[in-house]
Amino acid sequence: MVIFETDCPTCQLALPYLNSLKSDFIQVIGLSQDDERSTRDFVTQLKISYPVELDSGLKISRAYDPHNVPTFYVLDENGQVQRTLVGFDKEGLNDLAAALGHPPIAPPNDGAPQWKPGCSSRHLEPERQSSMQESSAKLLRRVGDPATRITLRDEEDPFEYCRRKFGDALPVIPPTAEKVDAMVRTSGLAPETIIARVPPFYGEATVEKIAANAVMAGCAPEMMRVLLPLMRAACDERFNLHGVQATTHFAAPLVMINGPVRQELGFWSKQNVFSNVVRANSSLGRAFQLILLNIGGGRPDGIDMSALGNPGKFSFCIAENEEENPWEPFHVTRGLNREQSAVSLFAAEPPRGVSEHTAPAGKTVLETISFALATVWSYRTCLMPEAIVVLCPEHVKTIHRDGITKEQARQFLFENTGVPLRHYSKEERAEGTQLVANYKEITVRGEKCYQKFRSPEQIHIFVAGGTAGKFSAVIGSWSTGPAGSQMVTYPIPDR
Amino acid sequence: MPVTIVHPGNESVTKAANPPARLASLKGKKIGLLDISKPGGNFFLDRLEEILRSKYGAGDILRTKKPTFSKNAPPQIIEQLRGMDAVVEGLAD
Repeated sequence: MVIFETDCPTCQLALPYLNSLKSDFIQVIGLSQDDERSTRDFVTQLKISYPVELDSGLKISRAYDPHNVPTFYVLDENGQVQRTLVGFDKEGLNDLAAALGHPPIAPPNDGAPQWKPGCSSRHLEPERQSSMQESSAKLLRRVGDPATRITLRDEEDPFEYCRRKFGDALPVIPPTAEKVDAMVRTSGLAPETIIARVPPFYGEATVEKIAANAVMAGCAPEMMRVLLPLMRAACDERFNLHGVQATTHFAAPLVMINGPVRQELGFWSKQNVFSNVVRANSSLGRAFQLILLNIGGGRPDGIDMSALGNPGKFSFCIAENEEENPWEPFHVTRGLNREQSAVSLFAAEPPRGVSEHTAPAGKTVLETISFALATVWSYRTCLMPEAIVVLCPEHVKTIHRDGITKEQARQFLFENTGVPLRHYSKEERAEGTQLVANYKEITVRGEKCYQKFRSPEQIHIFVAGGTAGKFSAVIGSWSTGPAGSQMVTYPIPDR
Repeated sequence: MPVTIVHPGNESVTKAANPPARLASLKGKKIGLLDISKPGGNFFLDRLEEILRSKYGAGDILRTKKPTFSKNAPPQIIEQLRGMDAVVEGLAD
């Protein structure tokens, strides 16, 4: 039995996992603390397949007295509580399944966090006023209002109208009702389904509004398959899009694509990977930026106050050249299966190039890259930044030829990226120098240095680019970790 | 034929809230000082606290701090500040 509230985000996340608890010996029941209408919406929206009852007057909740929702109870045949689990906890859910002799029900890398605390149980809340309930229902509703249809006067040029009203600086394709409908149909979802709420204005990204922006950006209708998980990933609280969109830093979300979807939808991973080569990369990146602007309100001439901005705000989408990558692909390192298509997001600075055409040895190539890595965020700032190393095929070939594994490459970069102590002055205050008490001293090439990164996991390796030219790139991060933006990887559904 | 397009933007209507009445004086008032946790915020707020006490005779002063400047203040922080007569949010860098 699970006791839940319909407007609790943790309940919304947790309850669908019990759908997979299928056995002749286990009965699952949900107990809602809310009214019939919101409970019915909850069950339909989240496709809950087990029986759900209403806890009218919160009588059962008072009897079991959970502090938080969701609370899961394993009851024996006499109704005695054998085990409880509070909040969302993947390991706990799998332990609970195991205790019932059932295989795991919470896969480790489905995009959801490992753990998320719940909300206080309704029976412990003070009486709420009805107006509060209405506004909170609107904040957490899962189905939005239909988008307004705008019929233009004959003399109005639709291209000019849309550029003026809904574009950035570049022209957009008018999102006509027919084109948007075709795009919505490929999603298989109702047009008003809310996929995410986009910061900083928390506008509701419904399927049809996402589709309208996708049409404007020139996406093929099939791109909805990537756009929906992309929007969920972008609005995952770990990514902290609110901060990414409102910061004065350079950060722009870099979209990274892996798996069979690359071939299926024509994503490009080779020469000019950051440039304007194919429709898939360019239009997906642009659609995403238009959504952030039109639905999220992060206008580059308004609330997005980035001091210098980022050329990636036109479009910033790359795919991994898995065919030229001798190691496991990026999404496998992120915990997904090789056959699973995936989208990852990183709050990224623009790429900086690293040329190395002379070094014959793989280690020397990595050493050259480590010098660029030392400069991310600000040269003397250690521990906080993360980085992506985009390795070109020629460089990765040399490194792999020397018998270096991906893990060893990350370890080498971690151990060899340092900022010499002689660059820190005790007298003069400067960025990064005030935090040296927390830094770790290491020796790199015989010289005392502060270690740039916290761990090898802060250095991500992504293989992309053309097979000619020994040019790799280093991409710095925005603020990282739980206080900043954490990289997210979401699966893209199969065709 | 007239062209019909689908509105691609956020259509939710935001209502402006009325600003609370201005304080006629700070004397004896409860003042919240919120540090957003950027480096240097404490210098600014320390000095402000001093001035509020010495020059304006402010009453209780509550100092609080966001866990990180990169995210909205969590509900506990907002709750702490409820009931203050005025709040100053200190941005710094």
